[in-house]
Amino acid sequence: MNTKLKVSKVSKIYPGCIANDNVSLDFESGKIYALLGENGAGKSTLVKILSGVINPDEGQIFLNDKLLKLASPKDAKNNNIGMVFQHFNLFETLSVFENLSIDSEKNNDQLRILVNNILKKYNFKIDLDVPILNLSAGQKQKVEIVRCLIRNPKVLIMDEPTSVLTEQETEDLFLSLKKFSKEGILIIYITHKLKEVLSLCDEVAVMRKGKVVSISRTVDEELSSLANKMIGESLNKIKKMTSNNLSGEQILRVSRLNFNSEDPYEVNLVDINFTLNKGECLGIAGISGNGQNELFQILSGETLSNSGSIKFRSKEIGKLNPKERREYLMAFSPEDRISQAAVPSLKIYENVALNNFKTSNFFEKGLFNERKIKDHSKKILSNFSVNTDNVNLRSQFLSGGNLQKLILGRELITSPELLICFNPTWGLDVGAINYIHQTLLKINEQGKSIILISTDNDELLQLSDRISVINKGKLSKIMSAKEVNPEKLGLLMGGGLVD
Amino acid sequence: MIKIERRNETSNLIYFLTPVLAIFLTLVTGAIIFYLLGFKPLEALKFFFVTPISDLYGLSELLVKATPLCLIAIGLSFCFKSNNWNIGAEGQLTFGGIVGGGVALLFYNHEGVYVLPLIILAGAFGGMVFAMIPAILKIYFNTNEILVSLMLVYVSKLLLDYLVVGPWSNPEGFNFPETRQFSDSARLPILFEGLRIHAGIFIALVSVFLAWVVLFKTYLGFQIKVSGLSLKTAKYAGFKGRKMILLVFMVSGACAGLAGVGEITGPIGQLHRMISPEYGFTAIIVAFLGRLNPIGIVFASLIVALTYLGAETAQIFLQVPKYTGQVFQGMILFFLLASDFLLFFRIKLSGFKKYEY
Repeated sequence: MNTKLKVSKVSKIYPGCIANDNVSLDFESGKIYALLGENGAGKSTLVKILSGVINPDEGQIFLNDKLLKLASPKDAKNNNIGMVFQHFNLFETLSVFENLSIDSEKNNDQLRILVNNILKKYNFKIDLDVPILNLSAGQKQKVEIVRCLIRNPKVLIMDEPTSVLTEQETEDLFLSLKKFSKEGILIIYITHKLKEVLSLCDEVAVMRKGKVVSISRTVDEELSSLANKMIGESLNKIKKMTSNNLSGEQILRVSRLNFNSEDPYEVNLVDINFTLNKGECLGIAGISGNGQNELFQILSGETLSNSGSIKFRSKEIGKLNPKERREYLMAFSPEDRISQAAVPSLKIYENVALNNFKTSNFFEKGLFNERKIKDHSKKILSNFSVNTDNVNLRSQFLSGGNLQKLILGRELITSPELLICFNPTWGLDVGAINYIHQTLLKINEQGKSIILISTDNDELLQLSDRISVINKGKLSKIMSAKEVNPEKLGLLMGGGLVD
Repeated sequence: MIKIERRNETSNLIYFLTPVLAIFLTLVTGAIIFYLLGFKPLEALKFFFVTPISDLYGLSELLVKATPLCLIAIGLSFCFKSNNWNIGAEGQLTFGGIVGGGVALLFYNHEGVYVLPLIILAGAFGGMVFAMIPAILKIYFNTNEILVSLMLVYVSKLLLDYLVVGPWSNPEGFNFPETRQFSDSARLPILFEGLRIHAGIFIALVSVFLAWVVLFKTYLGFQIKVSGLSLKTAKYAGFKGRKMILLVFMVSGACAGLAGVGEITGPIGQLHRMISPEYGFTAIIVAFLGRLNPIGIVFASLIVALTYLGAETAQIFLQVPKYTGQVFQGMILFFLLASDFLLFFRIKLSGFKKYEY
């Protein structure tokens, strides 16, 4: 039977951001649809609406012309909408079969027969009685898919399914998806990988800033045209006036840096090489989850590396921890400002004391010098326009923007030579973003260097002198910000190559 | 549908008042239990909580019991505050007792002022070394310190068993499972003639003061606090995580060891199988009831010590088993955790009507 899914004028508004802005899309079985977009384009919100995890503020969803009420994930399941998320929802210590039987109403014998038939039909090789933790990522994903197939889905939504798969597993997955599609299951494939769109999907809808900006057939598209649509054309206008006081004096050198993680959800870094000059801002772009976290932690010293791989001025610092690196005048502003850069339940002055330099004398003869820390904190609050002067306030009562100002202030008040920041304006309002951008430009002008890891391309182009893109743990060639255009950026972010 | 949400703000005053609420609820429940057992509830509670401390001897006994509880809980607060779950203080106490007791036996026929300090240091050292085992295993092999420290309790208790039955048993002791009596110079001085209260209480008080200074006034204390609140932040700030794990376990073990050696050189005067009525486990309750705060722990140790005494009195006057004391200890912890839960979270019932608690 033919399945038609219609998304009609769906909007979802969060405070300070429109996640979905009047989105209308039509899907029909027999085809594989791609939903393409950067981080924050609104893909995930739409998918969560379709799977009943969140409710839209406006708009309707129709399945075969019938209005759907998706108040919870259960409603989606009952309407034969299946969903495979990027991170698996499986109990690691239970067996495959136990995982499948948890949310099934069928009795075990019936279920086993059904599952075996599905495995045979699609040539999935999974032992039903081994615990999940013994499976590879690809096999785990197959278990998730089987869980959907048990319920005879009409619609199957795959959210960034290849991010944890190997090349071979990806090919296997594509074959299966094509098979499902032939059998009449409507497939919606969420991704930011351009190549996958072209090799797998029939139609592609591109989202940007909550809106659907283009719907087209993939045969009419190529990598560059998709890249352009995904990133948007407007970026060229806002580039930084490259500072003219670049001295050419090298301040940081990262060479042959590798990182292999034991955690399957972390990204391995492969042969990272770059240098940074005094007074320069190096932007590192990329879709989130491509190794930015790992790179930040290695640069900050939370993860240690070979001592020779990172050289700050003339010192090899790979084996130094963050505190020791700070003593050499490096500063760090992590992505997670709420629970990493500060402790919400601590008072402002206590959060300031987290950066305890030998020269700051916060602790005299080992004892907490409260007055000194408070004076220092007051200076930060006024110099960086945090909208309170009460250093005894718990930092959980600061707004995101004020908290970020406090953190940047804490990092910058000691005049570091190098600031490494990761998504410094994530989730902030326009005023705060503006302030932070101005601050970063100012310290560049003062001859201090910045490494800006960000998933916000506007921000990168506004602030960077040179830009590189990280994809699957590898850095692209470093380009001058002048030669970067949306097409190049989009291609590199989507895993393509640029000559 | 029942929903559990985190509350936004909890005031400091309420944070320190909930232990009082927990004690009140324990008393109410205790009264109900006594009533169901056929006693007059108020009278029974009086036997339990008032009679034991209505004379000087009782007060002295209260301090004798509170001393080890307080010492151990002070040590544990270093661990718990930094997210290290040392459940094996009982083992560290026992091992401290063994090492300190060993030294005391070595000097059983010596007299001199140097003997006692040596024994005390040996006891602290023993507890410290024993606590380093779970710490080192956690640091280098990522083992779970709860399991390791707990299992080591039984190792040290069996070792003590073996020693007092075998090699260390009193040659003139008619095969009783106990060692010789320690010499007088190996005993903590008694403070008042006729009462059991001994100088160990000063060790406890000094440790309370030191703990307060370290936890609230030093960089180390600050690091412990931050690590307990957010390991991610501690890592980002560059605190030396491994060193700190080792350190808090050492402090905790040394305190438990001191408590052990205080028992054997104080009220007991020799080694035998039962050198501690599970002080090491009960001190966990004391630590939490005292909010991991040294001053709070002083009060908490007095209250929990009273349950030990109350159980004994109740056994005599009401003929209820002395394990009633453990029932009360359990109830205190239960009510404390329950009221903490409601302090930090709210329960939302949604259905056709919404209620908020």
